[in-house]
Amino acid sequence: MTALGVGVARTQGATFLGLLIAALVWEGLARGLDGTYLLASPSQVVGYLIANAGLIGRALGATLSNALAGFVLGNLAALALAAVALVWPASQRIVTGVALVIFCLPLVATGPILRVMFGPGDGPQIVLAALAVYYTTLIPLLVGMRAAPASWFDLVRSYGRGPWAALGYIRLMASLPYLFAGLQIAAPAAILGAMVGEFTGAERGLGVLTVRAMRTLDVEMTWALASVATAVAVAAYLGIGALARAVLRDAPPMILAPPSGARQRSGVVGFLGVIAAILVLWAGSIAALNLNPFFAKGPLAVADAVLWAEDAAQTRASLGAALGQTARLLVPGYLAGLAAGAGLAIAFTLLPRVAGAAMPLAIALRSVPIVTTAPLIVLMLGRGASGTITLVAVMVFFPTLVACLHGLRQAPGQVIDVFDSYAASAAQRLIRVQIPAMLPAFFAAARMAVPAAVLAVTVVEWLATGIGIGTLMALSASVSDYDMLWAAVVLTAALSALGYAGVGWIEARVLRIYAPEQLA
Amino acid sequence: MVLCEGLAKTWKGGLAAVAPVDLAFAAGQTTALVGPSGCGKSTILRMIAGLELPSAGRVTIDGAPPAETLRVAGLSVAFQDPSLLPWRTVRGNIELALSLARRPVDRAAVDQLIALVGLDGFADVRPAELSGGMRQRAAIARALATEPRLLLLDEPFGAVDELTRQQLAQDLPRIWEARGTTTLLVTHSVTEAVMLSDRVIVLSPRPAQVLADIEIALPRPRLPDVARSPEFAVLVDDVFAALSRGAAMADRTLAAQ
Repeated sequence: MTALGVGVARTQGATFLGLLIAALVWEGLARGLDGTYLLASPSQVVGYLIANAGLIGRALGATLSNALAGFVLGNLAALALAAVALVWPASQRIVTGVALVIFCLPLVATGPILRVMFGPGDGPQIVLAALAVYYTTLIPLLVGMRAAPASWFDLVRSYGRGPWAALGYIRLMASLPYLFAGLQIAAPAAILGAMVGEFTGAERGLGVLTVRAMRTLDVEMTWALASVATAVAVAAYLGIGALARAVLRDAPPMILAPPSGARQRSGVVGFLGVIAAILVLWAGSIAALNLNPFFAKGPLAVADAVLWAEDAAQTRASLGAALGQTARLLVPGYLAGLAAGAGLAIAFTLLPRVAGAAMPLAIALRSVPIVTTAPLIVLMLGRGASGTITLVAVMVFFPTLVACLHGLRQAPGQVIDVFDSYAASAAQRLIRVQIPAMLPAFFAAARMAVPAAVLAVTVVEWLATGIGIGTLMALSASVSDYDMLWAAVVLTAALSALGYAGVGWIEARVLRIYAPEQLA
Repeated sequence: MVLCEGLAKTWKGGLAAVAPVDLAFAAGQTTALVGPSGCGKSTILRMIAGLELPSAGRVTIDGAPPAETLRVAGLSVAFQDPSLLPWRTVRGNIELALSLARRPVDRAAVDQLIALVGLDGFADVRPAELSGGMRQRAAIARALATEPRLLLLDEPFGAVDELTRQQLAQDLPRIWEARGTTTLLVTHSVTEAVMLSDRVIVLSPRPAQVLADIEIALPRPRLPDVARSPEFAVLVDDVFAALSRGAAMADRTLAAQ
């Protein structure tokens, strides 16, 4: 067995052990809290699943087929967009900018809009699953296509061959590990997208049952559904990982988050170009699909609703109040998640043995579509602020922890040797070498966490809390106030994309000092 | 015959890498370009290979621009960085050159090349498992695979150990002679240049200008003993003298500024 094989086996052993411990703790807690309607134990969950195998099986089948369709469509879209950006490099900024803003659309609110467009059926779930996956595939692909030394391309040219030979002999192979890394993150995301689609109105699927279980306060059913969703998401993540190991000779690169746009010089022109492209796409697709203006609001209609209409002031006030409520949940949760993730990662480096066991578990949990467990957190922490803040924090926490653990390992061994040769303390080493080495990974995670946190907060608000922009969207959808719904969607996507860009801006400034090679 | 006429390269931002130079490389000869690091010798090689466009002047290979030679895959470059594709074995990397050149793959010929560079038994090994020197040797084998008329070597022996280097210095010229290959070797090792070449061209610090053009009239085949002969020592001294003149010139220019 190769060294890699042993490592994988050990990792799997540790993961199994971790899961076993988690299950035992869960069972014990559930028994302790018996009668509080909070927690169903693993044995109750298994019992429920056996008793309702047919119901759950049909729902799982519906969710998985939608997730699969969305996974395929979203990844094909990512491949097509990557091809466009490759063939026509000048378009890359626009392509990635537009892709980011679409990725930042709040899925919960996109769901009802798609619902009226598609009518009954699986259309919205599939589209939402596709929307949840394409970005995390597109960005690694774009990186992978260029992740080859210039001399490889010189080699191709020195035999008189052009870009097509470079694509066939170099780019495709060089981008494969990146593609797999993207697909691996995409697999659980597709299940998440499909379930969010089901939360917002569908006939069949795990999400539909979840909403029903929450309404009837069926604790066993809620826990059983969350367990099934988690299990299939982790299985999909591990499945793609196994496929990657079978296809690739080397371990796939650890892509914690796509690199920021920092390497491209962003400017006012590029920014305006992205905005113009989005407006054209938005208005163009409504015109091209000949959608009913009653529910399909173009840029002008939305601008009218918030700026010039008679009730514009009132609309703005509602939006502002809702955004304020959301921000009070989102910002503390986001910051707490970042702090907890980075803090725990740092604590782990001081306890290397614990870190070795924690890493595989954290990676496995990172693949859990946390949002699908939102009902559990609502169940346990109630519909108030603490539950929502916790969910946002958990959503941010796992990717940050994994990224920071990985980043801390990137500390150059030779520099650490230098510190050791001066008998520097562990704290010295941590502050002067390891934490600076962690910063690139930390910021990459912080950037990707912005849309994730927005997704989490809007889903919880939509499902449960009764305040904030998510609730405003749910109410607007239920009373067919499409002006308000579109305005809320546009505003949320724009703020989310701006937040992403803002973290990217800070990141670029920090990396300039601590990791200039990443900006080259 | 390779001709460089008034060849110059200025990078974006105005940094002059190569001052206008005139160079001629006779067919079937081995010529070494020697100069300090960063003097622009690799840039000259890249312009001859058609990988870089000159800012002024022109390159012709047998009377035509490099693009013509590229079109028929008539030249090979061994880069400073071995540039082996990590997912291909040694054999796969050598065969890559044949595929890129649209030539049929002759397994026996590839095996011979692998033996020539001393990689017997490593044909099915991936680059990650090879030492730096072994990778460079694989890259040399790849460059020879298409039997190019023009072979461009950019410091190809940097990581190769001394013994293997001596062996290659015996074997490679024999192949070039048999095939009538025109070889251009960029290096900063003076003894290597004298050992391998029929001519050594000494370049000044950036922007590159020709300081000396020294004929190496040592008999071939050159056995390792040649390096201990008085003739060899004189030639090495000549090259060193020219290099030192260049360094002194550069110091004066700096002092004048």
